[in-house]
Amino acid sequence: MSKYRIMVIDDEKIVGDMAKMSLEQEGYAVETFLNAEPALARLKEERFDVVVTDYKMKGIDGMEVLRTVKGLYPETKVIMITAFANLDTAIEALRGDVHDFFPKPVKIKELKASIQRALSK
Amino acid sequence: MKNIVEHLKSFFGFFNKGMSEPVPFRMIFTRFRQVLDSHNRAVEVIADMGDKLGGDYLFDINYIKKAYSELSGAVYSSMQNFDVLTKNKYLKLHDVFEGIDNQIKRVIYDVPASTELVIFYDNIAWNMSSDVGGKNSNLAEVKNYLKLNVPEGFAITTRAFDEFIKHNRLEGRIESLGEGAIEESILNELQNLIINAEMPPELNVAIDSAIESLKSIGSFSNSGGTRKGDKVPLACSVRSSAVEEDSEFSFAGQFETILNVPLEGRAVKDAYKRVVASLFSPKAAAYQRATGHDIGKAKMAVGCLLMVDAAVSGVVYSTNPNRDDNTMIINSTWGLGKSVVEGQTDADLYLVKKGVNPEILDRRIGEKGYMLTNQNGGGINTAKIPNDLIKKSSLTEEQVLELSIQAILIEKHFRKPQDIEWAIDKDGRIFILQARPLTRKEDSVPLARTPLSLGQKEEQNPLSVVMKNKGIVVQKGVGAGRVFILRHMEELDRISKGSVLVAKHDSSNFVRVMPYVSAIITDTGTPTSHMASLCREFRIPTIVNAGNATQILKHGHEITVNADDDGATIFDGIVHELVKHANANFMKMEDVYEFRKKRYILRYISPLNLIDPLLDNFTPDGCKTMHDILRFIHEKSVMELVEAAMAGLKGQAAVKLDLPIPTGIMVVDIGGGLDVTERRDKVTFEQVASIPLRAVLKGMMHPGAWHADAVSLKVNDFLSSMIRMSDITSDSMEYVGYNVAVISREYMNLSLRFGYHFNMLDCYCSGNTRNNHIYFRFVGGATDIVKRSRRIDLIAAILKEYGFNINIKGDLIIARLANIRQDEMENILDQLGRLIAYTRQIDAVLHDDCAVERYSRNFLKENYGL
Repeated sequence: MSKYRIMVIDDEKIVGDMAKMSLEQEGYAVETFLNAEPALARLKEERFDVVVTDYKMKGIDGMEVLRTVKGLYPETKVIMITAFANLDTAIEALRGDVHDFFPKPVKIKELKASIQRALSK
Repeated sequence: MKNIVEHLKSFFGFFNKGMSEPVPFRMIFTRFRQVLDSHNRAVEVIADMGDKLGGDYLFDINYIKKAYSELSGAVYSSMQNFDVLTKNKYLKLHDVFEGIDNQIKRVIYDVPASTELVIFYDNIAWNMSSDVGGKNSNLAEVKNYLKLNVPEGFAITTRAFDEFIKHNRLEGRIESLGEGAIEESILNELQNLIINAEMPPELNVAIDSAIESLKSIGSFSNSGGTRKGDKVPLACSVRSSAVEEDSEFSFAGQFETILNVPLEGRAVKDAYKRVVASLFSPKAAAYQRATGHDIGKAKMAVGCLLMVDAAVSGVVYSTNPNRDDNTMIINSTWGLGKSVVEGQTDADLYLVKKGVNPEILDRRIGEKGYMLTNQNGGGINTAKIPNDLIKKSSLTEEQVLELSIQAILIEKHFRKPQDIEWAIDKDGRIFILQARPLTRKEDSVPLARTPLSLGQKEEQNPLSVVMKNKGIVVQKGVGAGRVFILRHMEELDRISKGSVLVAKHDSSNFVRVMPYVSAIITDTGTPTSHMASLCREFRIPTIVNAGNATQILKHGHEITVNADDDGATIFDGIVHELVKHANANFMKMEDVYEFRKKRYILRYISPLNLIDPLLDNFTPDGCKTMHDILRFIHEKSVMELVEAAMAGLKGQAAVKLDLPIPTGIMVVDIGGGLDVTERRDKVTFEQVASIPLRAVLKGMMHPGAWHADAVSLKVNDFLSSMIRMSDITSDSMEYVGYNVAVISREYMNLSLRFGYHFNMLDCYCSGNTRNNHIYFRFVGGATDIVKRSRRIDLIAAILKEYGFNINIKGDLIIARLANIRQDEMENILDQLGRLIAYTRQIDAVLHDDCAVERYSRNFLKENYGL
């Protein structure tokens, strides 16, 4: 069986690097992007099982990533992470059919568990 | 005798200060609590940062910025209240704070290259390799972070290189070298120009002043340089430290190193130019071209280190490049190591099995015909080796093992096999001179807190659990080794490397063994103590507040500690699978460069350098991190409070404490210490609401502890007390009659005088463990100094049982304890109350040293007979 594919989009390198390292340990194939444009271009080429995206980014933001992903692949799960967590952003994200929503710093173990849940559905 | 009198005088001195004290004690106490409040906030942020930056969380720079601004705010606010409390006694702390704050902001905001021309090793940080070059940067890490012995020295930066080149208008020539093949004659000409070039005036001044500083450092011991007492002029080695050197590419032997350069301006500057010129030697140019470096853009920083007067030197390969069997090789020879590095002499070779307890597997003693030594006045001599040394092992077994341990530490730290140059001076001190990556195909090194030498035993199956879900996990991870139950602080030095340290109380003194222990478990303690921060810093699996670990775990038994999100589990024996798995995971996160880079900020935040308030470095200048500043503030605030409590006594309304025993204690309540509705002259025990005073009184009144009958003094004792009487009375007799307790609901400062000894107890006892402290002081007595000292020994022996940090000078004892849970503290205070009562006259019966042990044992068994 081929590996599950996970995409991580965050404008800070450290988030992508750390996520890639920890998720690859779990046996996932991980690709990381520092901004949404090339990420969405890549998504048009190929389907990913889970997309983990930052909420607030310059240019295309997390909500737009969510809409685009859902438009392309309704079954792909999107997990949103944000440093600027408040109730409004959470509600907005959840209405937009997000699988999960985490404030940063995100506990890696919880992110892994959330991905596992996303894949088992 | 004079000492004792001084102690007594200083003790009484506290009373005297009261006369000129305008600030009411209550206000001082309020300030003290404000200092503590912000202090606590700061410690919590430090703990949180340690946690979030520990590798278990995805975090971004926003988190670091937010957390740090909260931390610096709290430290600053604590410092401001501290200024008021101490009447600006430690304003220097502000400069220190600013310095550390700048360093941290440099990391957070990625401030580019330093503008300094010369930087001392102590001030070189991890992210400065573009300023000081790879070699300097690595060596500074070994010195500043691993705290291994490295000669004192300074780096001449790449900025200085730029200035030097610009000043001599050589930049055009260098840029035009480009990437292609270069004719040797062009390089030779450039080298000549550099060697004869003029130093820019600023750089001249900077190097001269650095040399002067280095001279003054060099005259102290432990810094390289000459031996203690030697009058030989100081010399230094001048070493290349190109920016890319010792990083991914080793550049081994490509550039110049000049040994034994007299430590004076001209010689150092000439050597500097020669090292800079070596950047453009045909050999180095070829290497740079071959490794894809653009020689036109190369920069050379230089290191200038005090020369070690080496008896033995050599090289360690921390991982054997020839074998895959977890071994390392050490080469060594007499004198300077240049001959080993350059492979010119038949050196000794030791093959060592790596592990927490390294083992020498094989040794081959070479025929060492000649050696290199420092020549007086500079330069190197070749000398014949005396016959009896030619075939003698140049290292003792202990030296081989110590070198191995240091090499393992360095390798773990840089996460790559290392090629390490070292020297041992004529006093037997090991110095690390250089550490660079050893190029090899398999580069990753497991960071295993594993006792490899214990690996023989098969693991138990099924796993037997010794302890589960007890205590608070301070640092997650897996650690395995033999249990070492620490009874007294003095035993700390006996802990063998790789042990699991198990102790009743937590202590920041454990920092001494943190690089070596596999895990730490304490019966008491909190996750925000100083020790806890240190454990996170050293990433040692740590459990505090585990209840009765010291009773459940057996000294010398092998265990495996697994601390994770779900709590702590301790298994019987070594569970290799667990150890392997946990360490593999952690290892990889540390390999994420961005993670290490961001995490670096903790270096300026969490380590604790100020451990012992009685050491010389316990000053504002000794503070190297935010944690140090907090520690300094905390300790000095307690001192200030103790002094203020004594001084603020005058003019306070005092009420007599009416107890069944004649303590003669007067009580000054500064808030909530007494449960009385109206003013009165006397209060009973029932009316004491102060938590610490109640606990102490309970102990003093414990059946049997207080002896009503006077123990008869021997003639000797009586005479000696008479003689000292005049000293005592000459100093402020009018206050001596008081036994006083200044109290609030959670605070107590108790000053007692019984006969000729003085007892002071300052403590804070509340629901907030982190605020709690006990400061106990005992001095003097009526008997002769021998008996009085025995009483001090007895008190020390008993206090040790409760985990106190103890300092004794003559017949003065000071004991401290902090971070204690309230219930536990009340129990300790009860015991202290009994101790105060019990020891009132005990010196009179301490006729021999054995009596000390007998009576302390009796006390601990609650047998209070005299």
